[in-house]
Amino acid sequence: MFLKNAITTLLISSVVYGFAAEPERSAIQILTYRQEPDWSAPWRFDAVQRAGGSGFVIKGKRIMTNAHVVSWSRQVIVRKYQDAKPYLATVEFIGHDCDLAVLTVADESFFDQLPALEFGEMPKVRSTVVTYGYPAGGEEISYTRGVVSRIEMSGYSHIGNRRLLSVQTDAAINPGNSGGPVIQDDRVVGVAFQGIAGLENTGFFIPPPVIQRFLKDIEDKHYDGVPLAGVNFVPLQNPAYRSQLQLPDNNLGARVDYLRPNSSTSNVLQPDDVVLQIGEFPVASDGTILYQSNRVFCALGFQLGQSGDSVPVKMWRAGQAQTVNVKVVASTADRPEGNQFDVKPRYFVFGGLVFTPLSRDYLGAATRESSEASGTDLTYELFYRSREEPKLVREEPVVLSTVLGDAVNANFRLRSRVLVDRINGTRIEKISDVIRAFETSTNTYDVIEFIKSREFECLDHAEALRANDKILKTYGVPRDRQL
Amino acid sequence: MKYLHLITILVWAAMLPALAAGDPTAAASVWEKSVVKVEVSRNLYDYYQPWNRRNDRSAKIGLVVGERQILTTAQDLSDRTLVRLQKGGRGKWTNAKVEWIDYYANLALLTTDEAAFWTGLQPVNLSGKAPAEGDKLQIIRWREGKLENRQAEFTQFAVRPSELSGISHVQMELGSEIQGVGLGEPVVANSHVVGIVASQKGRTCKVIPASFIQMILAARAAGNQRGLGYFHFYWQRAENPASLAQLRLPGEPRGVLVSNVPERLDDGEQVLQPRDIILQIDGFDVDMQGDYTDPDYGSLMLENLSARGKWAGDDVKMKIWRDGKPLDVTYRLPKYEFAHSLVPAGVFDQPPDYLIVGGLVFQPLTVPYLQRWGAEWERRAPFRFTYYTGDEATREQPGLVILSQVLPDAFNLGYQEQRGFAVDKVNGLRVTSLSGLRDALKQPKDNFHVIDFLPNESLQRIVLAAGDAEREATQRVLERFGIAEAVQITPKAAAQK
Repeated sequence: MFLKNAITTLLISSVVYGFAAEPERSAIQILTYRQEPDWSAPWRFDAVQRAGGSGFVIKGKRIMTNAHVVSWSRQVIVRKYQDAKPYLATVEFIGHDCDLAVLTVADESFFDQLPALEFGEMPKVRSTVVTYGYPAGGEEISYTRGVVSRIEMSGYSHIGNRRLLSVQTDAAINPGNSGGPVIQDDRVVGVAFQGIAGLENTGFFIPPPVIQRFLKDIEDKHYDGVPLAGVNFVPLQNPAYRSQLQLPDNNLGARVDYLRPNSSTSNVLQPDDVVLQIGEFPVASDGTILYQSNRVFCALGFQLGQSGDSVPVKMWRAGQAQTVNVKVVASTADRPEGNQFDVKPRYFVFGGLVFTPLSRDYLGAATRESSEASGTDLTYELFYRSREEPKLVREEPVVLSTVLGDAVNANFRLRSRVLVDRINGTRIEKISDVIRAFETSTNTYDVIEFIKSREFECLDHAEALRANDKILKTYGVPRDRQL
Repeated sequence: MKYLHLITILVWAAMLPALAAGDPTAAASVWEKSVVKVEVSRNLYDYYQPWNRRNDRSAKIGLVVGERQILTTAQDLSDRTLVRLQKGGRGKWTNAKVEWIDYYANLALLTTDEAAFWTGLQPVNLSGKAPAEGDKLQIIRWREGKLENRQAEFTQFAVRPSELSGISHVQMELGSEIQGVGLGEPVVANSHVVGIVASQKGRTCKVIPASFIQMILAARAAGNQRGLGYFHFYWQRAENPASLAQLRLPGEPRGVLVSNVPERLDDGEQVLQPRDIILQIDGFDVDMQGDYTDPDYGSLMLENLSARGKWAGDDVKMKIWRDGKPLDVTYRLPKYEFAHSLVPAGVFDQPPDYLIVGGLVFQPLTVPYLQRWGAEWERRAPFRFTYYTGDEATREQPGLVILSQVLPDAFNLGYQEQRGFAVDKVNGLRVTSLSGLRDALKQPKDNFHVIDFLPNESLQRIVLAAGDAEREATQRVLERFGIAEAVQITPKAAAQK
């Protein structure tokens, strides 16, 4: 009885979706063999892992998927609907900030009989969408139907430090669905990309404005990234604060609370400016704009164009409204604060001391390896210092990641997860300073000072030089640096 | 009186052989006359709603140590409303008072004016002699009306921070199967008390040794207690010969390296400098692990030399190595004060301070405040707050005031969800204490209060209306949320009385 019912349902489904054969055929299964580096032993890679995701064919004989599906991949294999043949694919463009990627397939016959899917408009809240993909739990294509639950700015977990427009749906989006098309009226209205562990019926997809911006970005064969304003806007709803700023009680305006140093807006806006309109969008007092009938945080107003664009901003300063042009750029200055991909971790080894730049990836690895609270100084340095003590910020804080044991360093007490302040009296701003400090040293003993504790360790320079090759060989480190 | 003494002596004479034979029943009878139960009723404060308090009752153990004096630890004696004593493990409770308490040293003396209570009680001898390995140690307490006497094994003497403060001094560590101790239970060896139990973790009991207690009590009796001092500098072990060679110290590795010398808030001169090597303190050689050989306890961490017969304000002689040469310096011990920490570790005998303005609740950042996140507060409390606990107080930033929550009202519309920021300035004036905040609020700018926060990830500034609107809102909030007072600022109380 149960079996009969199940079959019936499938038959009905195939009837219902019979007209939707195009998306079905154009949804692609992606298999990757990926290998991530060990950020605390940065010359080493973890074991190769097999991972699966989804994608779909777009114009120009290309496949769109999520960046996280193909990140760190050593090999990408794509498979068509009901076709056993594996095809090798390569990543043509990848946008880690918006979690999108475009693949090409060397064997162009892959695209034979595969129509490119067209993109649709932003779906309405409460409207129905269907996800296509190859999630875990089976080998064949899977469809899940759901409604658009809400549309707002939310964190993109792949990079970890960006909030972009996203759509929440109750359609099941499971591991393996990533990169698959979300379809409405035969058109792509999203790319499935993430869920929230522990929450049921909560999946997220990347909506058309983010996808279209990405595609426009790569038209010049180079991906620049999502432009940012570098501004922290906060609601301005307290009557007293509005009154103090001589602002009319008209429910408009978000206050500029903080500007990231050296951001493109820092010389145009200033704290306590009140932004009344960004581009065509009036900004409400809760910091939102009305975008395609959805109330979303106003930062979206800066993210719709391309890096280098100017966005007209109407603002209120010193009791008067004025309009300024804000140039928005895709910033890479905060890259260490987000997850990094497809890069070789940088390091330098001297006398068995392994130095590496501080990054979110390194911090994650260090925290996993240690239950101590040693990560607190690193956390402060990475996420808080730039805002709290901008004058003390280093371009690229450097960590003594580990000490490869040898007679020359055996008496070091500080052996890992400590931030380097100075070497031989030189303040270390970036890893190249470490190299220069050791390579130009004429000291008998190199003095390495550490941040916060102000402890220090010394190293016999000549002995360290002599031991270098042996240490690298002993620990299987292919070279003393990777920059 | 003579008759009483005679009986006492006879009892002791009869007791000693029994003790030697290890008969727990006979041993118990000696300590029945000296060990008493202590019951403390006290106020516990809710640091999340600092105007709230609830009553709590805790049990402790006391030890008769002198003429109408009962010794116990200072733990659980703060914010007391009633202290009572019971002898013999059962029967009548007698009201008592705290004669003296030192939260830094974690010691207190109790007494009672009821003469009948003292009848039959007998002071014990505190033994200044350290127990040795192999000594039979016993932990004694009243339990369910009977004196419990459990064996403990001496593990080591180690320099550890006091339970209630950052003062480090020698403590005794014991292993025992006994459970639920750490309430001031005496530890005895050969009919002498060698310490009282301050805490327990698993099988390990941390004991305040009798010698430390004697030192504190003797100074108090002489009216000479100036408070405990400490070393206000940081050092690292000198285990790396390359570091010593770089500092041109000849000979075998020895001494410790001074790494960080923070500002002193007590006007004392900071005679040490980073990169000094401390070779000797008060005549004791310091080894490269930072230990010295104590005549009484063997190898101990050098921190104990700030408490070994020394008080705040005393001079400690140090032989150091600086710039390739030996140098003698005199280090004057600063007094340990909770208030000298950026985030004070202890707040005792006072309700939590707070200030409410228009529904915004401001509080000083203290460890008791952070402890509302539970035993694992260092992991669970907001990162930025816990990170402040590792920072030193300076003259510029001696303390921190935080916006802890907003009680919703039309006045504070738009700020209801703001919390967890440390205050930088109010109306342009630097704020580092709640009284400073109160003063700054008296100086609004153009009838507005401008509150700037220290840099944080969420919010830098808020503005409030001042004047009548503010006063009316504050009053409205107090009434709506059932709070008696808008401001609770206790004058700084001494943690040692």
